[in-house]
Amino acid sequence: MAIIERPATESPASAETDDMVTATSSYGYLRRPVETTGWRSWAFTVDHKKIGIMYGVVAMFFFVVGGIEAGLIRLQLAGPEGTILSADKYNQMFTMHATTMVFLFVMPMAAAFANYFIPLQIGARDVAFPRLNALSLWLFVAGGLFLNSSWILGGGADGGWFMYAPNSDTPFSPSNGVDFWALGLQITGIASLVGAINLIVTVLNMRAPGMSLMKMPIFTWMAMITQFLLLFAMPVITVALFLLMFQRSFGATFFSVEEGADPLLWQHLFWIFGHPEVYIIVLPAFGIVSEVLPVFSKKPLFGYPFVVFSGAAIGFVGWGVWAHHMFASGLGPVSVAVFSVATMAIAVPTGVKIINWTLTMWGGKLQFTTAMLFAVGLIVQFTIGGLSGVTHAVAPSDTQQTDTYYIVAHFHYVIFGGGVLGLFSGIYYWWPKVFGKKLNESWGKWNFWLMIIGMNLTFGPMHIIGLQGQPRRMYVWTEARAGEGFFNLGMWNLVATIGTFVLGIGILLFFVNALVIHRSQPVAPLDPWDARSLEWLTTSPPKAHNFDRTPTVHALDEVFYRKYEDVGKGDEHDYVQRASLEDLMLEEERHADAHIHLPAPSYWPMVLAVSLPIMAYGVIYTSWLIALGGAIAIAAMFGWALEPADAEDSDFDPPAPGEQTSKELANV
Amino acid sequence: MSARTDVANHEGTRERAARATTSLKTVTTRTQGARLAKVGGVVVLTGLIAGCAKNAPQDTFQPRGTNAERINDLALPVFYIAGVVGVIVLGVIAWTVMRYRDRGQPIPVQTHGKPALEIALTILPALILIGVAIPTVGTVMALNDTDDTECVVNVTGQQWWWEFDYPVQDGCMPGGITEPIVTSGQMAIPVDTNVLIRGTSRDVIHSFWIPRLNGKRDMVPGRVHNLRMQANEPGLYAGQCAEFCGLSHANMRMEVAALTQDGFNRWAANQLEAYESPVEGTVAADGESAFVTNCSSCHQVNGLEAADGNPIISRPDVGVYPGAAPNLTNLMTRTDFAGASWSLLREECRKEVWEAEPDQFTDRYLEGVTDDCFNEVDLREWLRNAPAKKPMYADPTKLAETGGLYRGMPYLALSEDQIDLLLAYLLERK
Repeated sequence: MAIIERPATESPASAETDDMVTATSSYGYLRRPVETTGWRSWAFTVDHKKIGIMYGVVAMFFFVVGGIEAGLIRLQLAGPEGTILSADKYNQMFTMHATTMVFLFVMPMAAAFANYFIPLQIGARDVAFPRLNALSLWLFVAGGLFLNSSWILGGGADGGWFMYAPNSDTPFSPSNGVDFWALGLQITGIASLVGAINLIVTVLNMRAPGMSLMKMPIFTWMAMITQFLLLFAMPVITVALFLLMFQRSFGATFFSVEEGADPLLWQHLFWIFGHPEVYIIVLPAFGIVSEVLPVFSKKPLFGYPFVVFSGAAIGFVGWGVWAHHMFASGLGPVSVAVFSVATMAIAVPTGVKIINWTLTMWGGKLQFTTAMLFAVGLIVQFTIGGLSGVTHAVAPSDTQQTDTYYIVAHFHYVIFGGGVLGLFSGIYYWWPKVFGKKLNESWGKWNFWLMIIGMNLTFGPMHIIGLQGQPRRMYVWTEARAGEGFFNLGMWNLVATIGTFVLGIGILLFFVNALVIHRSQPVAPLDPWDARSLEWLTTSPPKAHNFDRTPTVHALDEVFYRKYEDVGKGDEHDYVQRASLEDLMLEEERHADAHIHLPAPSYWPMVLAVSLPIMAYGVIYTSWLIALGGAIAIAAMFGWALEPADAEDSDFDPPAPGEQTSKELANV
Repeated sequence: MSARTDVANHEGTRERAARATTSLKTVTTRTQGARLAKVGGVVVLTGLIAGCAKNAPQDTFQPRGTNAERINDLALPVFYIAGVVGVIVLGVIAWTVMRYRDRGQPIPVQTHGKPALEIALTILPALILIGVAIPTVGTVMALNDTDDTECVVNVTGQQWWWEFDYPVQDGCMPGGITEPIVTSGQMAIPVDTNVLIRGTSRDVIHSFWIPRLNGKRDMVPGRVHNLRMQANEPGLYAGQCAEFCGLSHANMRMEVAALTQDGFNRWAANQLEAYESPVEGTVAADGESAFVTNCSSCHQVNGLEAADGNPIISRPDVGVYPGAAPNLTNLMTRTDFAGASWSLLREECRKEVWEAEPDQFTDRYLEGVTDDCFNEVDLREWLRNAPAKKPMYADPTKLAETGGLYRGMPYLALSEDQIDLLLAYLLERK
């Protein structure tokens, strides 16, 4: 990418054509890649937009993988004494379903949005550390593929995603599945940590002039709180995973009861990470619907500071509630009481968000696009999940509910209802920004309704199943414990399975919409939704340098106020459109900045990312692979440190005859 | 549908049908987004169906003991409050969505919020939650009180069954328990007695859960956890290991048999009766020697003697991971086996026991497995090839990681004749 000069102050064409040299002669092996087309332009890119898209694509791939696992689980449980999966395979299936959905779908999908839209929303040209950004992506891809390679190397992890000790130790889980799990999550964990630091620095340092924190778009706010949660949560799981790795691979005794260990240590470590993880999952989605609802209500977010502070409050209180996952673990009454009350306390800021979203719509001018439907769907489904959450914040009540399907119902309403629906809302809302065309709205509506009906059919009956006493993680359920009549487990298990397939069809429609129908969609206008925030003040898809002119921000909802003027008098309000986004864009182009500097691509993030799974295979199989992976890692770090800051101008294609600008064209 | 539907039904009685209707309405409204008009018919219908339902034996809303009742009394109001809040919130959302849809109205005032309203709407849920928190703390404390214990049972989880032993104590029955009793799968307790379970595990974490008597408590290796247990009326109370404990987690069940005090005394006396070898020349007598050859290295039968007159003490720790297998001295006083996963009773007899009226239950239960009620099929299959019936890490050759220490009952390659002998012998273990 290198340097973009626009408008060209002089024609560099003739000068550079004469001086063309081949790349290798000037840079040797440390030369930076400059390809602007083909797979290399993606593999070595440091452009936050390309990285965001790749995050999304890979996350969607794992969404399908996790979905297939879910389908198999539900098929097995459709009737009593299911025989589709063996006990062993079933245990692997639910472990990997949860792991895949949490670590390889929802988190990276949120990272996709954060990567793509944080720089655009704050008026920056890229993130603070573009090469680290690429490293995050490739570590996530490497970790995800490594984790799933266990399927063909002896089977997936079988200890549940919570991987309680000592059941995760080798005597109880003799296959290599848990090793793959521990090492794979370690790799994706580095990705999250690197990404978190990168985005925090970006938001704190690279906002456009005038954008104070309280004028920052709400999605960026929520995404930044998420990054802080990641920053503090990831080290905890990292420690836990290291202990597990040493326990299994190197004979350590951190969780060996016969050596005096207390297995509850793992539970505390896991849930100190695991509970903030819940907010890591839902806060980005909350941010997305907090963008979508105002746009389609034609009103600003109601009580923006309250939404910001409630998000921050969730971020803080979220650290003080982990033991509510352990109410049955035998913590003692005082701890249980304290964590019970703390858990109720966190319902308050969460409730504030629901109230604010509702009041945002109140008095608005609501347009039910697919994005809006998903956003409203999130409010409704998350409310149900939140209320069932209150019933097990009550610790004694939770001792009847924990580890039953009631909990499965609860957290799917929270994570699927509060997380995934929000991500889909974001996909429909920002699709035209990223790809220049809208997704088809009628397909989108079918997509939405089938997903909503499907999820309620799937997870709704699980409330009944759980309160009727069916525990989780059982590869079969039996007629003998099923009861009769309306609440019998048989009927509701079957309904849940049918629901899964309705949900599956709904998601399939999304893929058809995105991959097939999308081709014949017309090009969308620059401002398809009459949007309000800064990411719309550029072309769709955005140019490599995001903004021709670094925008100066005067208000929250900057773009709305650039388009509309209030001509009412006194208490009367009358908003008249003064400019279209096309007008605004022309204005931006007329005042485009000169000498925009963009970071150059690099080979090294990918090389470094590849070294980690090699080391991980070494831990499992043979130690010389650790040495090989380590050597690659060191080489990559040196290469990274020593490569030049930019590709030389001469590395780029010469401009086409008659073109005013040179290098920018080479980048499009 | 959601949890709220259940709540109503679990009351079980006709008097509460009215409440059932209310809560069902709650649910339907919530999920459908306040389509109140259609709900009425559905509610009545559902209410009727619910009235006839016989709920699952692990239903969490049919408490039959003081501890579970305490939980229920706390949980139900919370469900109702959550339901009411849910109806209001979703009702407001539904109304907003209907009322403010785009009908060509002008762009609304760009209001950024009303702090007073915001603060009020923050304080309101906080107040509701304080109202919930106070009784919660009280109940948590009450459920952990152990001062009123009248009987102690040690409970030990192991992949994938439960062992119950009754230590020598003054409690449980008049005169107390004079010699330790060891049993598995089904735990007998006297009714109206505050039993304290002292639980642990021999391998991984398990969770002891009898929904009708109390919430669950994890049983963690290396730790001893308390759990109160009390039953108001005689009956068989189903439960299941609730913490994922590996391969056969689904096949780790247990039951509590609550007996009248007199019945419990009889049960305990029977457990401690001296061993009697089968009558010479019967099939069961041959079964005894088959048992000694094939089974007694892991399974203890108290009083069984070797040919040299020494007692046979099972030492399963030689090859088995956690070092124990169920004690079979009184196998046929229990109604199921292998982690309470398969019945020793034929289906009709099983139903009789499970559905016995409280005042008849004790006698029916103490009959044990009679010859004509004996369900041979499952036990025969079990003896033929246990790991095929219940997934276990039972093949030492595939367990290099544990030095060949297996768990669960291995495949013993017994002939059908040997199985016949063993069945005859086991049927006399009463």
